[in-house]
Amino acid sequence: MNTPANLAAWNQAHDRLHWYLETFALGDEIQVSRIALLLLDQARDLHSADPREDPTEVTLRHAQEELTRWLARQLGETDQTAPQILAGGTIALLLSKLAQERPDTFLADPAAIEVRDLLRRTFVVTGPDLTVSSMTPRHIDYGPMLGLARQTWHRWSVKTFATALLFWLGVYGICYWCLSEYL
Amino acid sequence: MSAPASNPYATARRTIFVGLAVFLTAGAFVVLLKTYRGVPIFGWDYVVIVLFPLLFGQIAIGFTLALLGFFDWLRGGDPLHVMRRPWREKENEQPLAATAIVVPVYNEDVARVSAGIANMWRSLEQTGQIEHFDFYLCSDSNNADRWVEEECAWLSLCRRFNAFGKIFYRKRRHAINGKSGNVADFCRRWGKRYRYMIVLDADSVMSGATMVRMVRAMEANPEVGILQTQPYMVLGRSLFRRVLQFSSHAYGALFSQGCSMAQMSSGSYWGHNAIIRVAPFIEHCGLPFLPVPDKSRRHVLSHDTVEAALMRRAGYEVWIAYEEPGSYEEGPPNLSDMLTRDRRWCAGNLQHFWFLFARGIDLGSRLQIWIGLMAYLCSPIWLVFLIASAFSAHARMQFLTLSAGPEDLGVASPAGAILLFWITVVLLFMPRVLGIVRAFTERKLYGGAGRLLASALLENLISVLLAPVLMIFHTLFVVLTLLGLQIRWNAQNRADTGLTFVHCLVLYGWISCMGLLAQVVAMTYLGNFSLWMTPIFAGWILAPVLAWLTSSRAVGVACQSAGLFLTPEEVQPPPELAGLDTGESEDKPHSPAWIQALLSPYVQAVHLALVRLPSAGDEDEPDPAQVRQREELLRQGPDAFTGRERLRLLWDAEAVAWLHQELWSRSEHDLHPSWLVAQREAGTSPLLTDYLLRD
Repeated sequence: MNTPANLAAWNQAHDRLHWYLETFALGDEIQVSRIALLLLDQARDLHSADPREDPTEVTLRHAQEELTRWLARQLGETDQTAPQILAGGTIALLLSKLAQERPDTFLADPAAIEVRDLLRRTFVVTGPDLTVSSMTPRHIDYGPMLGLARQTWHRWSVKTFATALLFWLGVYGICYWCLSEYL
Repeated sequence: MSAPASNPYATARRTIFVGLAVFLTAGAFVVLLKTYRGVPIFGWDYVVIVLFPLLFGQIAIGFTLALLGFFDWLRGGDPLHVMRRPWREKENEQPLAATAIVVPVYNEDVARVSAGIANMWRSLEQTGQIEHFDFYLCSDSNNADRWVEEECAWLSLCRRFNAFGKIFYRKRRHAINGKSGNVADFCRRWGKRYRYMIVLDADSVMSGATMVRMVRAMEANPEVGILQTQPYMVLGRSLFRRVLQFSSHAYGALFSQGCSMAQMSSGSYWGHNAIIRVAPFIEHCGLPFLPVPDKSRRHVLSHDTVEAALMRRAGYEVWIAYEEPGSYEEGPPNLSDMLTRDRRWCAGNLQHFWFLFARGIDLGSRLQIWIGLMAYLCSPIWLVFLIASAFSAHARMQFLTLSAGPEDLGVASPAGAILLFWITVVLLFMPRVLGIVRAFTERKLYGGAGRLLASALLENLISVLLAPVLMIFHTLFVVLTLLGLQIRWNAQNRADTGLTFVHCLVLYGWISCMGLLAQVVAMTYLGNFSLWMTPIFAGWILAPVLAWLTSSRAVGVACQSAGLFLTPEEVQPPPELAGLDTGESEDKPHSPAWIQALLSPYVQAVHLALVRLPSAGDEDEPDPAQVRQREELLRQGPDAFTGRERLRLLWDAEAVAWLHQELWSRSEHDLHPSWLVAQREAGTSPLLTDYLLRD
């Protein structure tokens, strides 16, 4: 039953779905609306099975699953996890520019063979294989200064040194003032 | 390779260089001692006498280098230089070898870095040798927004130039040891694949022709380990940057040429815009730990000089290719940014003290270390020298008043003091005069003779006023470093955005107060003698105004319109710099790019391709704390995460994928309202328009 609350919930679902589809930057706004309505209809059918579920949750989950299934079919992937298919397929979509240049092919089932081939041909090379080398700190003999340092300033605490210096500067200052004033 | 063999030419030149500097210092010292003949010497005079040779030695070294550079320029270049050897006759027949162009970045302006790489790619394409070069964008950024933006910029570059497998992006999980650690990490991972690497800074640009020639030079001269170009400062708009880039063109080249002539194969390495032979670098240039008790301070901060010294120790040559065009960098846009950089450099150069006396270091490398060390130590020495001179003058005046003797009893040889003054002035300014004489021969590239001279005069005025301010800050940096206070590797600000007057007052106001006080005290106690110190007091008093004025982009652009501080790259712009001078990237509001790694499918896919999702069966169950944190992010919004938490989240590919799903599919009651705003704007994110969807 279409109560006002129900309508508002489905409107929210529609808005969210629209924003989601907009992130794919489809080259045709009408196509975005067309896909949104199609997915919403399918989500309504799913929702009728369990009306306690939130329409937005049902719609967006369904949209993501549909996209993952569609990408898996186009890429022919069977041994990958859903997030891997979604990530790899989305990269393929991006690089092939299908969504921008041929928006009618987005989520179209069955997809044209050239669309499938284009998506399968597209992949990213993220980095060359590692050819590991060992680059370790070189030993260097720091010479006589190191011995001198170890016997002297490496033993000092900066704070102690600074305190002593301040103390003697104070003593010197007081003595100097007394001598210049009274002698 | 074994230890470097002694080259008779190098020995002779070094003898002339050191001999001339020592001769000038000794001569001036004798004149100084003569001024004390027949007069009572006070305690402060001993300080003056001891410090004078150290200070004057630096002036003499600068003068000698400029003189050698000028002589080398007059004779048309060094015939013994590696870039003038017979291989140049058949240069184009020289084969190339696999070369990596390594661009370390740390929270830099991504648009600028990516535009620089694009220009270098195009320039290399024009040489027809692009197949020998690969680019590596090696990121140490600890800002999540920058990280995500860098990934998008990388993909955009690969897509635009069809450069997958030629341009790579690598983000370090544990960014230890700053830039040297970043480059070393590249060497460990992929160093074996390349014979050479060209190390750049984030703001560096090099022309394709120059890079190709450098590789050929290395191929033709297998004894060369590092070949450093002379990077010229470019793209300056603020007055400060324009003054710096003018002086780097007019005088910098002369010093580099002199340095190359004096040092020959023991030249400098400045950490960027240089080509390095990778195998010996990996084998011999792993930075040693410093022998200090505190383990957290054992890393060498300023790595380049030490790496050059280690390369020399291994028997390889290090040259400055001072004549090569097409090597550029950007300078700091204002005084505050330069001081930030100087603080880091100061700490690094002071660490080099240990290598001054280390065994196996080449004499040429020791000279480089000494010059670098004194560049900062001179400031506290100069300050103490000034104070000692003032006290000495005061004691002398008191003595004269009490003894009621003739005035010239104070200084036995006033002529000697005046002679010493003029010697100092000549040695200080002669390098600039020589630089201008040299620049005069290509005056059209500086806007003409009149503008060149006017620029030089103004540059000198600004330098004279800035020098005392730098002296104070460098002294502070030296003291802070010696007290062991940590200095971090800060991102360099490369935008001419200007400083506010309030910022300048807060940062430099105390120097003004100090200058005013010093002026009053000097006038009271020293009388006319204080006039000698006027340029120093003026620099201090004007510090806030100077910092504010020189940071101004408007003043810089006005100067440029008037033809002042013009440089050859502005008069004849090279194609490699085209489109890099946007100057707006810092002004536009930054969209929170890291959110797009959770929301935008495209941005997220790029991110997951780089951090890699676990394969089926390898997924780990997130621990309850992680689950709780993800829920917090959904319910409290993106601002609930600190910078560190954002980074940790982005490294977790499973969490990123899970959050993407949940952010889009959760009902609005279960999400923080800011997520809904972000979802609405995700389709128009600048990451899409500026990078991923850009043709």
